[in-house]
Amino acid sequence: MEDQPNKESCKESVMNRIAGEGICPRPKLFFQSRECAVWALWLGSVVIGALAMAVSIFVLTHHQYALYEATHENLATFLIEALPYLWLVTFGAMAFVAVYNLRHTKRGYRYPLWQIFLSSFILSIAGGVILQVFGLGYAVDHMLGRQMTMYASEGEMETSLWQNPADGRLLGHVTALPQAPSVLAAFTDVEGKEWLLDVSELSKEEQELLLKHDHVKLIGQIQDGTSKIFHSCGAFPWLLDKAATRDDFMAARKAFENKIHSYEERAEKMSHMKNFDNLSDEEEKGETQCGKIAPVRRMAPIMAR
Amino acid sequence: MEQLSALPLSDEEIVRRTLTDPNQYGLLMERYEQKLKRYVTRLGVRIPDDQLDVLQEIFIKAYRNLNGFDTSLSFSSWIYRIAHNEAISFYRKKNVRPEGHMVGDGEEILGFLASKQEGPEVIFDTQINAEEVNRALEKIDIKYREPIILRFFEHKEYDEISDILEIPIGSVGTLLHRGKKQLAHVLNKDILRI
Repeated sequence: MEDQPNKESCKESVMNRIAGEGICPRPKLFFQSRECAVWALWLGSVVIGALAMAVSIFVLTHHQYALYEATHENLATFLIEALPYLWLVTFGAMAFVAVYNLRHTKRGYRYPLWQIFLSSFILSIAGGVILQVFGLGYAVDHMLGRQMTMYASEGEMETSLWQNPADGRLLGHVTALPQAPSVLAAFTDVEGKEWLLDVSELSKEEQELLLKHDHVKLIGQIQDGTSKIFHSCGAFPWLLDKAATRDDFMAARKAFENKIHSYEERAEKMSHMKNFDNLSDEEEKGETQCGKIAPVRRMAPIMAR
Repeated sequence: MEQLSALPLSDEEIVRRTLTDPNQYGLLMERYEQKLKRYVTRLGVRIPDDQLDVLQEIFIKAYRNLNGFDTSLSFSSWIYRIAHNEAISFYRKKNVRPEGHMVGDGEEILGFLASKQEGPEVIFDTQINAEEVNRALEKIDIKYREPIILRFFEHKEYDEISDILEIPIGSVGTLLHRGKKQLAHVLNKDILRI
């Protein structure tokens, strides 16, 4: 194996090249900067991943599960629309970038891939939870929604879901209360259109809610397309802000279920009374208005179980 | 004191000195030239001119990156890593598949066969023909061959192999285990008792 002439020529040629081509060791700063850059990229990807997670958590927890029957045919179609794909993909991409960079630090190769992946993944998720606790998920989503026309914030998505009078949903605020004996309140939706809101079937609590909130979500149906009378069958608070809690959503869900249940009971009672032919026109009109709206139709089989 | 000064300089000390006096680099080249030549040959760089080119590139690259030498590693692991990367680059440039060439001589092969510390439980006949093992080593995957070469022919420890190949220490054991398993399949069963 020993090869003396070759050894001489190799050493000499290397030393000659070093001297002749003026080859110098790269400065320490070069290596330190490179190491810093890799760590900075890792940190950046973890932070962006955490932000993506924060927005995902915000979107997932603030989506209107409580009233999904009002907007979607079933839970599956609702979930397909509710998932924050962009942010989940961003999170996944950032986890990949974090793993790649950590692997390329000076000693990154010493750790198994799963440990590196898990540490970056857990850090991003923990960071995301912390950021969301401080309202950053909401802030980022809201800011991007305002700054970028291509990006639909959670608020904008919810607005587009609820501002759909033809499909029995309306979003806006009451501008004038009905004066007895009238049951029509003045209502302006989020697009600025003015409506006459029939509140005859709303409970006292719901009527109070109309006054208390800047934005309310209504389910019902257009009674008269030309005069813009919306027959309101239920009113719910607009919960899409960072302060909304799980209890708020649970309360909204409970109210929604009770409301739908009351219409079902009423519809059942009406059908029973019809058999005796002693139903007044007004009562029959009430039954046809709220007892047949889409959410009642969708929820009836679920509630019956 | 006299005794201390008589001790050979450590690689790390020579690196430190080279940074102020480039001529000291010759000492490192003398120490590693034959080892690295043998290593790149085992990795499949067969032609003497190619070996010389690859060796030169290894030493030039090492010299350029001396300031990046991580003192938590041994210099040996560091320069073997460069050699490994340079051999890979060589294959890529030449667009050829790395093929081992006489990975070990008779004595080394016997040492390898006698080693039982890494599973699987493969027990070889000591009368085995070295050439057969060399041929079998050429046939196994490069990812298994490299750890086997480093472990049994370059006599590196697990942590050194981990540093050279830039893989976790746990993976070194796994690759050696699988490598020997694959080797056992490849070896001619007429010659070996497995």
